Amino acid sequence: MSRFLNWLRDGVGFDILLVGAALLFLVALAGAPLIYNVLMSFQQVDMFTLGVLFRPFVGFDNYVAVVRQPEFWLVTRNTLIFVFGSMTGQFVLGFALALFFAQNFPGASTIRGLFLVSWVMPGLVVGAIWSWILAGDFGVLNVILKSLGIIQSNIFWKSDPNFSIWAVIIANIWLGLAFNMLLLSVGLAAIPKDLYEAAELDGANAFQRFWTITLPMMRPTIGAVLSLGLIGTLQQFDLFPALTEGGPANTSNVAGFWSWQLSFQLYDFAKGATVSVMMFLLVLFASVVYVRSTRHEVRG
Amino acid sequence: MQFTKLGLLAGLAFGALIAATPAYAQVTLKVWSIDGVDRPGIADTYSKEFDDANEDIVVEYRAVPFDEIVNETLRAFATGNAPDIVSFDNPDFALFSSRGAMLDITDRVAASDIISKAEYFAGPLNSVTWDGKLFGLPKYTDTIGIFYNKDLFAKAGLTEPPKTWDEVAEYAAKLTDPASNVYGITFSARAGEEGTFQFLPVIQMSGGGADMVNTEGAAKVLDIWKSLIDNGYASRDVLSLGQWDSTGVFNSGNAAMAISGPWEIDRMVEDAQFDWGVALLPTIEADDERSSALGGFNWGIMANTQHPDEAFRLLEYFVDQEDRIFPEFGNLPARGDIELPVTGIEKKDAALKVFQEQLQFAQPRGPHPEWQKISKAIYDAEQQALTGQMSAMDALNQAQATIDTIFGK
Repeated sequence: MSRFLNWLRDGVGFDILLVGAALLFLVALAGAPLIYNVLMSFQQVDMFTLGVLFRPFVGFDNYVAVVRQPEFWLVTRNTLIFVFGSMTGQFVLGFALALFFAQNFPGASTIRGLFLVSWVMPGLVVGAIWSWILAGDFGVLNVILKSLGIIQSNIFWKSDPNFSIWAVIIANIWLGLAFNMLLLSVGLAAIPKDLYEAAELDGANAFQRFWTITLPMMRPTIGAVLSLGLIGTLQQFDLFPALTEGGPANTSNVAGFWSWQLSFQLYDFAKGATVSVMMFLLVLFASVVYVRSTRHEVRG
Repeated sequence: MQFTKLGLLAGLAFGALIAATPAYAQVTLKVWSIDGVDRPGIADTYSKEFDDANEDIVVEYRAVPFDEIVNETLRAFATGNAPDIVSFDNPDFALFSSRGAMLDITDRVAASDIISKAEYFAGPLNSVTWDGKLFGLPKYTDTIGIFYNKDLFAKAGLTEPPKTWDEVAEYAAKLTDPASNVYGITFSARAGEEGTFQFLPVIQMSGGGADMVNTEGAAKVLDIWKSLIDNGYASRDVLSLGQWDSTGVFNSGNAAMAISGPWEIDRMVEDAQFDWGVALLPTIEADDERSSALGGFNWGIMANTQHPDEAFRLLEYFVDQEDRIFPEFGNLPARGDIELPVTGIEKKDAALKVFQEQLQFAQPRGPHPEWQKISKAIYDAEQQALTGQMSAMDALNQAQATIDTIFGK
């Protein structure tokens, strides 16, 4: 028995055991729902056959039906705007805050910690708060913008088709800001200080130091932050029911919310699954691009 | 030591449990509803009463949150674990009855001494009827009307509430006062069931219904609503406000009229610092046919119950206690033969009388098994028209095209 254990510990057996366990976890936790979802997107899923595995296959009918929905292109456009707008805002502001708090002034780390409050709050609560801030008639944001002279009349953030998607983006930027800042701060702290000192001796100004030291050293961190940001943004759900319910007239509807709406509001489970498979392909594509772009560094 | 004590205690408890179980066979009925999640409701209270009063029947009550009850029941039905009695929001009911998931109780009701089909309002009764058969009974109901601020009306020289949508626009113009932050009217055109709930009555009073939404009258009223928003007589935020928040604006004196239902009355009595009243929902032309939205829940016995007789007895008990649902739970009975007791609060009693009258004109949403898809087509069209993305008629025509595919035309 102990010989077997020794063989297991020292030999290939142990490796196989580890890989096997990891694979098992992956298949059980991530693979099974994914496969079930893909399966559903090719089946005719009836409300009363939801619990059954063997349902009639319909080929690509669900995909054709989803693309033919009147709101399909609007939702696609909104999803791209939502992802691009949210990620840009979260990243740029998060980076700026991380750089700001990297200046070791008194209380810097405490205040940075306080920023995390936004990150631990549930999305529904954040949505409710922003729903007040973004209200058209008495919302705080309009009051501030008006007193600064930026706008003349109230903007109806949640109800104006030109702004509704931005209402959700603004709330989502606020929600994801702290997480971005935190990851980027960790990345910044890992850069050796003597690099900056040497550069300063060589006469490099602040911008040059940022461009030639900070950015290149931060590349792996930035890649991780952006890919996590993409996944987080595509997953965002709570803010939509709290702020706009995808309205008015789907102008703030995005793929994630639409998929939920199709499945659990309209009980069209097959189309809901189809939309989430489409989203999965999008994330997969982005991940492959990211992995390929960073491959040489990892091997570095 | 601790362990043995605990074991002894458990043993005693178990023994007591066996001793307490009666020797004869008992029937267990499972009841699901949304009641009793945050405060006592109709279903949990009556289930317990029936359980206590009947030795031969055990009622197991389960409170399921509003957002989950349809999915939870679908799943339970598919796997054979469905409850015996369940309660759904009325537009969700047809989904189950049309697919044979609810027990046909037509004959049982006809033979019952307690239940009388004739006493129910037409709207609620329609929502439990499918293919001419009765698959359930209304639990309670509600509807909408138009609340108005009598003080602001007097200030604007108006004495009567508006009777037509043209009058609504005319009055809203007179009542709007931007200097005091007062809008003429508020309502809910939110992207969701609430948006449909407030707009469908207009479609119905114009001669349309769930299967026909592109009527001249509906387009006309949509244009009126759009002009209310464009002229600043109603806030643009009606497109994102739910009914509860929208009526909050009325209660705070920032809107002179509000479209909403009887669930607002208690809060209004407390919050509104002015004289108010409620009137029947306006019509398109004077003396037009009336309609209003139908809210509320229904009871039903699920088709795969093992104990249909006992389940029907329980249903009879629920119906027998319906004169208590207004005084104890604040819900309106779906029957015309139940007199609402006077509360002594003058504004509240007057308002309830109007809603009781309005209930006679309340029409169900659907009934149709794919109601939610029809509803989305309707509120999407409403919002496209109100935001000016499409003309009212174009938006309604587009909704009609979607609805035609649902009805298989």
